[in-house]
Amino acid sequence: MEARPTLELEMPERVAVTLELAGLGARAFAWLADAGCIVLLWLTVLVAYSVSGDLFRELQALGWLGQLVALVSVFLAGWGWDVVWETLGGGRTPGKRLAGIRVVREDGGPPGLVESLVRNLLRAVELPLAYAPAILAVALGPRQQRLGDLVAGTLVVREKRFDLSRYDLAADGAAALERFPQLRARSLALAAEEYERTVGFLLRRPELDPAARQRVAARLARALAPRAGVEPPAEGDAEAFLEALVARAAEGR
Amino acid sequence: MNAPRSVAAFVRARRPAWERLGALAARAGGGRLPLAEVEELDRLYRRAAADLALARSRFAGSDAEGYLSELVATTYRALYRPRARGAAFARLVRSEIPAAAGRRLRELALAALLFAAGLAGGAAAVALDPGAADLLVPARVRAAVAAGRMWTGELLTAAPGVAGAALLHNNVSAAALAFGLGLTAGLGTALVLLLNGLLLGAVLAYVAANGMAGDLLGFVAAHGPLELSAFVVAGQAGLALAAALVDPGEAPRREALQRAGRDAGRLLAAVVPALTVAALLEATISPRATVPPLARGALGIGLAAALWAWLLGGRRAARAATSSPAHDGGGDTLPA
Repeated sequence: MEARPTLELEMPERVAVTLELAGLGARAFAWLADAGCIVLLWLTVLVAYSVSGDLFRELQALGWLGQLVALVSVFLAGWGWDVVWETLGGGRTPGKRLAGIRVVREDGGPPGLVESLVRNLLRAVELPLAYAPAILAVALGPRQQRLGDLVAGTLVVREKRFDLSRYDLAADGAAALERFPQLRARSLALAAEEYERTVGFLLRRPELDPAARQRVAARLARALAPRAGVEPPAEGDAEAFLEALVARAAEGR
Repeated sequence: MNAPRSVAAFVRARRPAWERLGALAARAGGGRLPLAEVEELDRLYRRAAADLALARSRFAGSDAEGYLSELVATTYRALYRPRARGAAFARLVRSEIPAAAGRRLRELALAALLFAAGLAGGAAAVALDPGAADLLVPARVRAAVAAGRMWTGELLTAAPGVAGAALLHNNVSAAALAFGLGLTAGLGTALVLLLNGLLLGAVLAYVAANGMAGDLLGFVAAHGPLELSAFVVAGQAGLALAAALVDPGEAPRREALQRAGRDAGRLLAAVVPALTVAALLEATISPRATVPPLARGALGIGLAAALWAWLLGGRRAARAATSSPAHDGGGDTLPA
């Protein structure tokens, strides 16, 4: 796995939590998705307006309340969009939700009104330059912060979803283990990273090119056989051997 | 806890507790939990933190470690989220915003001075040399004045709410620019303040020279004072950033900038609502001929006075109540 830039947070419980920083791609995607949402809203309003102009006029005729609603809703589709979503939605606008990223303070907490105002109103100096300062700062900065993030003391992190089912005991693993009884004879010293890589391969193998799949399986089997203190299996048995190895490791003892 | 031999065995043994914790944390984020569940949440959280420490040392780089990291961070946010959003907001309004305004008085004075200088300069230029109006006063305004009518209000009366929103968008854009250009060490902010003052001064002098000053003042009386005040405060926020960049004092520049950014954000939290109210007035009251000039003037001056009383009046009391200089960095704008 390549190292991605991360944010290390020291928790009060004296354990560090690692948050992965969001890259330029995810952030640009979130921005585009938000812009798309706003355009869609405008289109909806415009279509509704052109279909029933009377409705709109009635809204205007509401007087103070109608004016206020119109003014606030248009504002929410402009400068207010990011600020309101980020403040009330735990640092996530709809676009960021879609991109799987969110804004956090440097202490890991969600941004408040003040932080959100600062980071978003600073777009005023980035937008006229087609976001060039923001793009450069996110791409080159050590913590991938926009100007607004730097001043507000915020970061954008990725929300990762982890699937723990990869640690379940696979049914075919037990069967494979029957074929390699020698694996049970000795204790197995498989590092967490080796285990993760093997499981990753086994989960992804249906997508692989058959020749490459066999080659990778054989290489993994050759590399991991010494960990179990056994001879590497024959080329055709490599995948079954890996399944057995994972099943043995998952048993734990 | 006896040490697990493999990451899979570890996950299988602990997973039910983690998933229970995740479910509790999700519910705690949404609202209140019964006491028994809060205690359970607390216990499971501590246990998960210990599991994370173990995963980091034994199974570094595994998905189990990533999962736990995410779980502990999420739970932490749910547990330590400020209980009452309303109370935090009340504190922001009552003490943090006035305190921020009070800490940045130098910047406020400079922003007001720059805007006033622009205003005076624009007015003087047009008054002394009528030809300057061709340069400084927008063509649209000159055409309307030549025809003997006001250029304001035509659009507004048709759809005040939407027009008000456009005004608000433009005003917030201008305020955001005055704030953001503080990052140019204040030069951009100074320019924006000066230019806006210049334009306004030129228009006022030009309109006055053509005998329509009463009309214009009547139009802007209700919303103008509040709008201009908010704009000057946005300039103050920009100059606060600039001051941190130019003279960070003892702190590293990045830290000084973030501290100034926090104060600037508090000021913006006053600027944006003030601009909203101003835009609302500009769209509804200002174009309406039925509201007498005196009432407009009283409303405009009253609202601006209320803004300044809030920003500057409460600051002594607020300072006394919430003096935590370590957090707010109270002293960093004092002259060295």
